Amino acid sequence: MNETQQMLEDTVNRLFGDRLGWDQLTAIEEQGFPTALWAETVEQGIPKVLADEQTGGMGLGWADAYPVLRACGRHAVPLPVVEASIAEWLARQAGATLPDGVPGLLTRTIATDTVSASALKLDNARTPWGRTADFLVGVAGQGDGAELIIASSKGLSVATEENIGRDPRDNLSGNAALIARHALPLAPDCVHWLGALARSAQIAGAGAAALDLALKYGAERSQFGKPLSGFQAIQHYLADLAGVVASVDAIAMAACTGLDQRGMAPLGRNARFEIAAAKCRASEAVEKLTRLSHQVHGAIGFTYEYGLHFLTRRLWAWRAEFGGAGEWGEYLGRIAADVGGDGIWPVITA
Amino acid sequence: MTSTADKLRFEPTALPAALDTLRAEVRAFLKDALVGVPEVKRSHSWEAYDAEFSAKLGAKGWLGMTLPKQYGGHGRTALERYVVVEECLVAGAPTAFHWVADRQSGPLVVRYGTEEQKKEIVPAITAGKACFAIGMSEPNSGSDLASLRTRAERTATGWKVNGTKIWTSNAHRANYMIALFRTDPDPTKKHAGLSQFLIDLSKTKGITPRPIQNLAGGRNFNEVAFVDAELPPDALLGTEGQGWRQVTEELAFERSGPERYLSCFYLLRKLIDAVKETAAPATLARLGSQVAWAATLRTMSLSIAAKLNAGQDPALEASVVKDLGCQFEQALPGLAQELCELEPTLEGHGSDYQQVLGALVQVAPSFSLRGGTPEILRGIIAKGMGVR
Ligand SMILES: Cc1cc2nc3c(=O)[nH]c(=O)nc-3n(C[C@H](O)[C@H](O)[C@H](O)COP(=O)(O)OP(=O)(O)OC[C@H]3O[C@@H](n4cnc5c(N)ncnc54)[C@H](O)[C@@H]3O)c2cc1C
Repeated sequence: MNETQQMLEDTVNRLFGDRLGWDQLTAIEEQGFPTALWAETVEQGIPKVLADEQTGGMGLGWADAYPVLRACGRHAVPLPVVEASIAEWLARQAGATLPDGVPGLLTRTIATDTVSASALKLDNARTPWGRTADFLVGVAGQGDGAELIIASSKGLSVATEENIGRDPRDNLSGNAALIARHALPLAPDCVHWLGALARSAQIAGAGAAALDLALKYGAERSQFGKPLSGFQAIQHYLADLAGVVASVDAIAMAACTGLDQRGMAPLGRNARFEIAAAKCRASEAVEKLTRLSHQVHGAIGFTYEYGLHFLTRRLWAWRAEFGGAGEWGEYLGRIAADVGGDGIWPVITA
Repeated sequence: MTSTADKLRFEPTALPAALDTLRAEVRAFLKDALVGVPEVKRSHSWEAYDAEFSAKLGAKGWLGMTLPKQYGGHGRTALERYVVVEECLVAGAPTAFHWVADRQSGPLVVRYGTEEQKKEIVPAITAGKACFAIGMSEPNSGSDLASLRTRAERTATGWKVNGTKIWTSNAHRANYMIALFRTDPDPTKKHAGLSQFLIDLSKTKGITPRPIQNLAGGRNFNEVAFVDAELPPDALLGTEGQGWRQVTEELAFERSGPERYLSCFYLLRKLIDAVKETAAPATLARLGSQVAWAATLRTMSLSIAAKLNAGQDPALEASVVKDLGCQFEQALPGLAQELCELEPTLEGHGSDYQQVLGALVQVAPSFSLRGGTPEILRGIIAKGMGVR
């Protein structure tokens, strides 16, 4: 890790480590959006690590911002930090400035014909933390042309929904007044790709935290007169978990680095390959991460009181969000079919 | 707020741009050099023995790359060697003749050999003219290697060796063997009673290799009998009683390379070609999942290479990649059969694809044996995570 990454990692781990124990996570699930914690997060500049320095951001690339994305998984952060980071990065690419407040990221590509001169027409647009959003950010377009759309969240009807991690995934409908629109030098489907990348990093983080819990519990809990982690079968589960966590972390970091270095232009060898590989592997890994971390814990891990579920429920939700292993595997399989057997290694090593 | 998971990070590594030129040269060379090599032989990659090919690779300057120039090596970086090795594996180049020498014996000889041994052996390895065998396993000592019993006793003229090694790859055709023997029979000194020896097989009497046929019919590994085999005093490699530590170092070379996930890559290439015209989305998804695995393992493996290059000791990381890599490559033959629904065949029967499939289906069980089993690796990983 470089200095920037280390500094960020320490900052987010301190903040979320202190503020997001199991009691607090439980309270947030009962009481809703933790306004004070969000304010603190904003104060420390965390949702703006990927924002332009001109607009008060840190101006970092994805590799340097990776510790924040990963920490959002590790601490089961019930805030739209990742979504805000994506929105800010998009604004930076478009040369736009986002309003103050909680952003609502429209996760699906906006059809061009739903954007008029003054409003954006939404029909059940899935929006993480839509109910809390002060404004909306999304990408509209068809073919190669894309536009960044910034719209008001006022006066919309909100069908509240949660994913199984119990994070808000609301559906917004109605006419959202346009605040601004900017040409965006990216493909119209870019939110889907950036979301997949961010979720991969979060899966790496939540997997790491689930491993930590399993290691701790394995050392503390005794059966047959010795700690669980004295049993070889349990040791092998822990080793297997550690390897899978490390592999997701590795490909997610590589995808971030790839995105910084070669972008996502639709043609040619670009970071889409690594992003697809990251989300495919991350989504596949969830099965083992959740199964083994629960297995080591026995029944206690199946209770609400013990907080492993804050991680594993999010892992199950994130596995599907922004495409699962099937979708991303198919994308990679198509690349393989296009380049053929002789061409696949040059793609991997490009 | 530290996380134990942070003990195992694989930072992305960019190879220096200058290596692109090297990679292109190696690719071009292999394309020509492998014309006419049968597909089945190519699929065996680092288990296919071909002295002529190794000499050609040596002539290009691509063996003994990291060994010091003063002894006849090329003094190049571990990353340069990494590029050559991965290109050979992916191309299905027959590299078994020089594999062990280039990977682990060369560095070991440079580190612990006498001046004379270095001057004789390093140039031979570099030229692709030295084949090495690894004499570690014994009939009663596999995973529990430190329990081995083959005994080397000091004599007036050097050493006398008695005992049996087994599974010794290429012992019947190798020029040298680096072996681990017991030099101190004191039962309280399990690990401390072991020492490493460098044996010139052409000059030593009393060593008899007997090839053991593997399940696929191949004859690569051997049982090797040592009956009063006499070795000169300088056959002792390194320090008496330090054999275990030296072998652990050697295993780090043995476990950390890209061959730990690329043994079946040739089959993946063939599989892609077999399904590319007709594959349904679900088939593409399964193929793509393997591509995602390959990309992930490449990232991890390269990160290890960078650590080795920087003089760090990535033994824990290497165990993880070998464990994951083995899962990946061991699953490929089954998948390659299923996605095409073709029968695997014996050499000389069926299509090239069927023969390659037949070969790899049969050798796949060895992937999780050679170089250390997953059971042992996971013990090492657990220990590295502070569990044991
Ligand atoms: C193709 C091939 C080439 C080889 N080449 C060489 C060579 O050149 N030189 C050389 O020295 N050796 C070589 N080997 C030997 C290889 O290193 C051994 O096979 C390996 O170390 C395992 O030893 P074993 O076969 O005696 O199995 P065993 O040690 O008897 O193990 C059998 C099974 O029990 C498991 N097991 C053993 N101990 C434990 C434990 N404590 N906890 C849990 N499970 C355990 C193992 O993981 C394995 O699954 C080769 C093997 C193969 C297959």
